[in-house]
Order: sequence, then structure tokens, then C-alpha cells
Amino acid sequence: MSQINSTVVTRNTEQALAQPTDWFTVLVKLSPKLLLLLLVVPVFGGLIGVILPAFGWAPVLNQYNIGLQAFTALWQTAGIGQMIMLSATTGFISTFVAFVITLMILAAFFNSVWLARIQQILSPILVIPHAAAAIAVGFLIAPSGMLARLISPWLTGWDFAPHGIFPHDPYGLSIIVGLTLKELPFLLLMALGALAQPELGKKLRQQHKVALNLGYCPMTAFFKVILPSLYPLLRLPLLAVLAYASSSVEMPLILGPNTPPTLAVAIMHWFNDVDLNLRLKASAGALLQLVVTGGILALWLLAEKAIRAFFSDSLTNGKREYGGAYFQKLTSVITLLVVIFISLALVGLVMWSVAGFWRFPALLPDTLTLLHWQSAVMQMGTPLINTLVIGAITTLLAIILTLLCLESEQMRGKKVSGFISFILYMPLLVPSIAFLFGLVLVQQLAQQSLAELSHQSSNVKTVYINYINVIITHLLFVLPYVFLSLSSSYRQLDQRFAIVAASLGAKPSKVFFKVKLPQLFSAILIAVALGLAISFGQYLPTLLAGGGRISTISTEAVTLANGASRRTSAVYALMQMLLPLLGFILAWLLPKFIYKSAQR
Amino acid sequence: MPVIKFFAIYCGKLNLENLKLNFGEIKLSRLTLLLTVLFTLTLMLTLMLTLSVSAGEVTPSIKSNVKSSIQSNEQAEHWQNIESGGRNQAVFFHAWGGDPQINSYIRWVAQQVKAKYNITLQQVKLTDTSEAVSRVLAEKSANNNSQGSVDLVWINGANFAAMAEHSLLLKNWANKLPNFALTDPDNNPTVTLDFGVPTQGMESPWGQASLSFYYDQLATTNPPQTLDELLAWSQKNPGRFSYPKPPDFLGISFLKYALVVLHQQSDERIKAQLYMPATHSVTQPETSPAASAVTSPAALNNRDLILQPLWDFLDEFHPHLWRKGEYFMQSGVEMRRLVDDTELSLAFTFSAPEVPAAVKRYDLPPSIRSYAMRDGSLSNTHFVGIPYNASHQQSAQLVANFLLSPAAQAYKQQANVWGDRSVLVHAILTKEQQALFQTEQAHPSALAVNSIKMTLSEPHPSWVKAIADGWQARYGVSQ
Repeated sequence: MSQINSTVVTRNTEQALAQPTDWFTVLVKLSPKLLLLLLVVPVFGGLIGVILPAFGWAPVLNQYNIGLQAFTALWQTAGIGQMIMLSATTGFISTFVAFVITLMILAAFFNSVWLARIQQILSPILVIPHAAAAIAVGFLIAPSGMLARLISPWLTGWDFAPHGIFPHDPYGLSIIVGLTLKELPFLLLMALGALAQPELGKKLRQQHKVALNLGYCPMTAFFKVILPSLYPLLRLPLLAVLAYASSSVEMPLILGPNTPPTLAVAIMHWFNDVDLNLRLKASAGALLQLVVTGGILALWLLAEKAIRAFFSDSLTNGKREYGGAYFQKLTSVITLLVVIFISLALVGLVMWSVAGFWRFPALLPDTLTLLHWQSAVMQMGTPLINTLVIGAITTLLAIILTLLCLESEQMRGKKVSGFISFILYMPLLVPSIAFLFGLVLVQQLAQQSLAELSHQSSNVKTVYINYINVIITHLLFVLPYVFLSLSSSYRQLDQRFAIVAASLGAKPSKVFFKVKLPQLFSAILIAVALGLAISFGQYLPTLLAGGGRISTISTEAVTLANGASRRTSAVYALMQMLLPLLGFILAWLLPKFIYKSAQR
Repeated sequence: MPVIKFFAIYCGKLNLENLKLNFGEIKLSRLTLLLTVLFTLTLMLTLMLTLSVSAGEVTPSIKSNVKSSIQSNEQAEHWQNIESGGRNQAVFFHAWGGDPQINSYIRWVAQQVKAKYNITLQQVKLTDTSEAVSRVLAEKSANNNSQGSVDLVWINGANFAAMAEHSLLLKNWANKLPNFALTDPDNNPTVTLDFGVPTQGMESPWGQASLSFYYDQLATTNPPQTLDELLAWSQKNPGRFSYPKPPDFLGISFLKYALVVLHQQSDERIKAQLYMPATHSVTQPETSPAASAVTSPAALNNRDLILQPLWDFLDEFHPHLWRKGEYFMQSGVEMRRLVDDTELSLAFTFSAPEVPAAVKRYDLPPSIRSYAMRDGSLSNTHFVGIPYNASHQQSAQLVANFLLSPAAQAYKQQANVWGDRSVLVHAILTKEQQALFQTEQAHPSALAVNSIKMTLSEPHPSWVKAIADGWQARYGVSQ
């Protein structure tokens, strides 16, 4: 906290000193430093809190032997190889499949009304928290799930649930299905967000039309004309997805095998184990997770290079047709299957939330009841307010900071330093469970020193500090996504507008507010909706940084998903979907509405 | 990187100076206080005794009367201090929050202590009690020794052993609670032993639990009554039974039940090892546990000797389990969900009342029936503890004392509230207090009263780790 205060102070003094330039320029120039401070302190603190125990230094456990004991213990863990493989393959394959489907959908439906419709159907998936999505998917593919109920007993003769391997299959197929379904809408949204920039989108659409006029099949035209311009904007989201998929906890916990589990899940279990000495092994595991995730990222970049080298010639070989009609049909079928799968999961979720007794193999519940909604809504007040307040403040801070940083980048005429970019993506690369434990330690240190400095400690203050901690921690996860989704659009802005405005005598602040922001309107709205969704979905950061005292819809939902019925978790999952869904609907409707009125 | 430099300085300053300051000042002042109090007390006692002796003949009984009246006076004063100091504050109660019935009972407790002491009791819902252990540990490592965020924690068994081992719990308070006497602690070891470990006043008993089973009447009509029958039943009904993956509490409990039952016919000397710490000399080759068990003396290496029958049993048992024993569910609640899905036909719980409650909430089909195994039910007591650094220690003691009151214990025991067995000893209570414990009409899915014929006590907590580690090594990785 004191860091923020000190920056505020420095900002004020510098403002007073820098009299000639206006406040806006000062603010913009300072913003990268503020961003750095907000990210560096928690990230490095968290990392130190993990690295030290990994190498044997943990004063609380009376461990001072610096060495590699923790790593030795890690390698001796039964099934460590399987854990690593499971993490790596599920992360890589799910991202690859999601990316391929995204490209196929974009290619097949580019410039068609269906693209927007598919996006509208898929975007709810983005806002379902991972735990709830996993439960919904698990219910579909379970032996007693919706798919089995559809064909029982009339076809199969099953009166009791059959024996099956889904979910929790040892090959991680269930995890791949769950992760792919969650990543697909995210990648699609990122692609559409980039294409929604007026300038770039228009250019690409025109080039696409030209290609069509030259006799290219629509899908070929997309891959040869659009993709080379689009992919650079998708690279960072892809890497973030890859890193998340290989280290996430919720999906593998609910859908994955547990003999052994994925590496991330195993680390979480070690951290939570009553045997406190396992913390050392967990810290070492967290570093291993970092290596595994880094390895997959490197693999992806290598594959990218290989593909570029291999296919760059075919871009200009003039071939118009690669069986486009066939692929178009295939894409339609895949899209239809994905949509049916998701719809069944959603219908299942809704039915569970109002189900009375519902024995296998009945397709519909025997009775319907509002009991689950009633009991859930009665306990939802405080978590709901917490969720909204924390989400709103976090997203607002993230948007303002991101815009200012991007503006400073343009003012200086060069991109933010590689160091800042690296720091920015750290929260997405380090498995959150390991990273957060160290962070909580640092926050407590800061909190305590603050209490000692001010010589007073009241409970009200502790609660406020908890809120601030949660917001700072959420910011770590919201900022990168907001930055990811805004930066590409911002950097692609046509500079000439700003130059013309400046040459006509507009101050930098006026250029920023009157020229740049309106062009970025839809991109900003999407970033806001995304930021809210990310904040709403955070479970571990809220739990750890808030000291368990700040309950949000997410923390309640995961607690109940672990310890309550499918019916209650269905209610919470639906509640979690409804909140961010509102944000996305606004992000989609507002630009259309405003541009329409502007055209008149 | 000026920022990093700043951060390093900041951290360094905190780590070094604060660490020293806190340890030095607080520890010293507390010690001084304690010494002063002890000294004064001894002085007073000696003075009084000398006075009474010098007054003439004093019979031993009078002497002890004087002593006990001094003690009870002190106790009353101690409690008065707590009652006056603990009022009007907040208490953060860290308790597993996965059961709506228990959560609503805690809400009821919150209303009661609000009315009684103006204490704002707030439940921090945990998915696993070890989260609270981690939190206190993190606070200790951050040198937060007096403003901890955990005021009261629901705990027992391995979590308690871990907290006690790392000195994370306030000592010697639970035995001074006025209502603690109602548990008849002198004749009732279940309230002063937690899985065989003496509680030393670090935790106050809250309730008792026993392992009981439930089955789906439509799937099986004659559920197994003993461990042997369970094996036979699983062979006849493959894939319809399993247990949560260790180290889940319920999964470990099932394995402990099996372990204790498997040793029922064993030699007394071997059986006694179950209630002593698990030992394992590292020099023994781990690959041939059977061979080493035969050759080594039991006292030096009892782990393999005691656990081998369990592994033999599981080797035979696992192929007939759900998913052929290659995958295990995460928790007891997931197991309950699988019974509702008709994937399983038989399951077990440590909290029998949750079964009828789940049927009422539609979470289990109405064809569920509960029963207890004929060869014994594993039983234990659960407690509430106060971390050494709790911010509101006095208020937490007031809450703990209220949790032990006949009114709170009787309300908790009602089947439609929670159904958790009371820790109070019936015979000690007054007529009015006993009347609070009247029972009502039972639900068809509920465990019948008195169905637990034989209780099995929990093995020493060190066996939890021994079982979990051994299980992990043998079955943790499927081929």
C-alpha cells in the first residue's frame, strides 16, 4: 500500500515541478512506472515466496538447508513423468484443437452473418467459471450423463448407470474436451476483437473481397489473405491460453484422472497437505510447472516457425481451391456439434438447478422445485455485492492503466520495453496456486508493517486492507487480459488521425479523448466485459488474498461445487454466467447502437 | 531496476528488523507477565496455607477445600475477565463449509452469541480445514503473532496434530471453560484425546461422529454387514462401491475401519501398535515390506507389519470397485453424488444425519437406507481450537463455551438441524437440561437410534500419514 501512496506523492510533486507540460502528459508518462510497480512487487514477491522454499529455505518449517532436497523428493514422486505428460499434452492439444476450430469457423463464415451468430452462441461459455463448466461437461459425458440418458433404456437396456471411463479418463480426454470448449470462445472473441477495429477490419474485408473476385474459394482466401495479418494479433492470447491450459487447476480437478493427476493439481494437493513439509516439494513442483509451461510455449513458437517456413511459398502459388466446399461442410458439422454439446450442457445445468428427484435413466426430472434457487438466493447478498464492487474497481483500474500505458507508448514512439511485457505476462505463466501463496506472505508482511507504522489496528481496517489485497491480486490477472485485448487494437490505430488532430492544434489530451478513444470504443467495451468476466471468475486469488473473509459468487460456487449437490452448484454456475453475460451483451450491442445513430 | 532495489530494501527491512522487534518485545513482555502472575499466586497460596496451619489443627479435607475454593474463585475470576473482555467483538470462525445444514447451524449459533454477548460470529467457509492451518502458518512466517485472522477453527485428527506440532494453537484454555465440566472430562477420555493425542486444553470438544453406511434399496436388498461380506458383495456387484481417494478424510476413515477390523483377530501386542505412533526405519528395503516385517522387531518398524494385511485386502478388493479401482472420487460428497447417479449402490458417511437431509433436498433418491456395520463403527470426536495468534481470543472462548452449552448441543443433535451427536455426558446434566435432548420421529432414510452396536476407536494419528503414503505408493499411479 505504501508503494502506491509513495507513487501518488511522487506523481503530485512531479506534477508541481513539471509546470510547462499539462497534467495529462505527466500522467501518461508516469503510467508505465505505475504499471511496473503494481506488477513487479506482487509478482516478484510471490516468486521469491516460492523459490526460497523450493531450494530448502523455509524459516517457518525450521528448514534452513539450502540445497536440492525438494527437487530430489519431487523426482522420487511416483508418476511424476505421467503428471508432466498429462499437463503438457492436455494443454497443447486442447489449445491446438481450439485454435484450429477457431480458424475454421473464421474461414468458413468470414463476412457472413453466421460469424456473429456463432459468437453470440459461444460467448456464454467464456463467462462460465471453469469449475462450473467442468461440472456441466462432466455431467454430459458421465455414465449417468445426458448423452447416456438420451439413449437409455430404450436402446441400451441400462436401468442403472453403465460402467464408463468418462470423466476422469486416464488419457486426459475429458480435460481436453473441457478446456477446448472454454478456449474456443476466448480465441474467437480475441480474433473478432482484432477484426472489429474499424481500420484493420475494413482493410482485411476489402482484401478478402478482392481475393474472392480473383476466384479464390472463401476459405482459401481467408488462410492466404486474412490469416497472415491476423495471426500476429492472436499470438499473445494463444500463448496465454497455452500457459493457462497447461497449469490450470479447476478443469483437471473435476474432469481429470487422479492416479496420478496433472502436475498443477498435484502441486495444489501438496500445498494443502497437512504435512507442512510437503510445502518444499510443492514449491519445487511449482518451478517444474514453470519449466513445463515454458517448454510448451517454446514448442508452440517452434511449430509456428516451422509452419511459416513450410507454407510461406504456398501463399503465393496462386492455387484457388483446396477442397473448400468439403471443408466448409465439415466446419458446419463441427460447429453444429459444438453448439449442440454446449446447449445440452446448458440445458442440463438449468434442469439441475430446478430438479427434484431425477433418477437415471429419466431424461427429465420427476419433479421441478425452486427450493435450490430459494436457499441459494437467500445467502447470496454479500457475495454478490463483493463480486460486483471488486470486479468494477479492478476492471476500471486495469482499463485506465492500460490505455495510459499504450498512449505513453505512442507518445514515445516505441513499444513498451521487453521487461514490462515480460512482467505483464508473468501472472499468466506462473501457476497461480504456487505464485499466490508467496504473494499472500508478502501482502501480510506489508500489512503488518503498515499496522506498526500507524500504531493502530482495527478490524474495519483489516477488512479494507483485505479488499485492497484482493483488488491488487485480481489486477494481476485482469491487467494482462485487458492489455492483451486492447494493445493490438491500439497499436493498429491509424496514427494519421492523431497527427492531423495535433497539427490542427489539439492538445494531447484532446487527441486522446476525442480522436483515439471513440475509434477504440468497441475494443474498450470488449476489454471491459472481459476484465469483468476474469475478475468474476477468480477463485484462488480471492480466497488467498482476501484471507477467506471476502466471499464472492466464485468462492461460494467452488466451495459448494466441492461440497454440495449438483443442484446447488448449478444455481451458482447459472448466477455466475448471468453477471458477465450482461457485460458481453452490452459490449456487443452498444457499438452497433451508437454507430447506427451516428450514421443517421 | 530501481523498483527492484526498493523492493529488496523494503523486504529486507521488514524481515530483519520486524522479526527481531516482535520476538523480543512481545515474547519478553508475555513471559514477564506470566512470571509475575505465577509468583503472586504462589505467594498468596503459601501465605494462606501458612496462616491456616499456624491457626491450629487443620484436617486434610479442609485444606483441600480451601485449595479448591481458591481454585474455583480464580476460575470464576478468570471467566469473568473473559466474559467482560470478549464482548462486543467479531469472531472469525474457520469451518468446513460444504454442508448447508452445518452452515445454517453455525448461523443459528451466530444469532445466539450476538444476543448473548454481542459477538459477531462470521463463518469463513473452508473447502478443506488444512487451508486454515496454512493460513496460520503463513501468518507465523510473516511474523504476525498477535493479529491472526483465524479466531476459531473447527478441527481434529491430523490437522490438530499438525497445528499442535508447530505450536500454532493457544494452550490450556479449553479445560477452563465452565461448560467443559459437563463433558465429565475425568471419566470421559473422548473429550481430552484427539485420535489418541492429548488435547492439553488446546481444543474444546464440539461433537462426535461415527462411520455409518447407506445403500440404494432398488439396487441391492441385502447390503454387506461386515468387511468380509463387503468383499463378497463387491465381487457380486462389480463397480458399485468405492471410497474417496486418500488423503481425503473419509477415504482414510474407510481404510482405518478396514485396518482395525482386519486386526480384530490379531495378537494383542500387534493390536496395541495401532494406538502407538507408526514407526518405520529407513534402512529397511522398501520394496519387500513383507520380508522386513517378519524379520524386524515390531517396536522398531511396526509400519509394514501393521499395514500389510490392509494392502493384501485392497489388492483383492480394488479390481471389483468402481472404475476397477483405477480412479477414485475426490470426496465423500462426490461419492454421494455418484449414489444419486446410480453409479454406486453403497456408500458411507461420517455424519449419518446428512443422509436423510440429502434425501429431503432431493440430493439422494428416496430409496436410500442407512445402517451400521456389525463388525464395528469407527468413531471420533471433533473439536474447536483457537490459534496462538488469534485477534479475538477471549471472544472465541465465549463462543466455544456456548457451543458446549446444553442448549447448543441439544439443538445440534436434532436430526432436522444437524444430527451431530452431543459430547455432553447425559447423567451429569440436570433434569431440565436432559429434557432438551428429546428425540422425534425418524426419517425412513435415517440411521436408526442405537444401530451402532460396537465402536472402534481411531488409531494413532501418525497412521493417517503411513496409510496415505503407503496407498499413494501402491495405488496412486495406475498402470
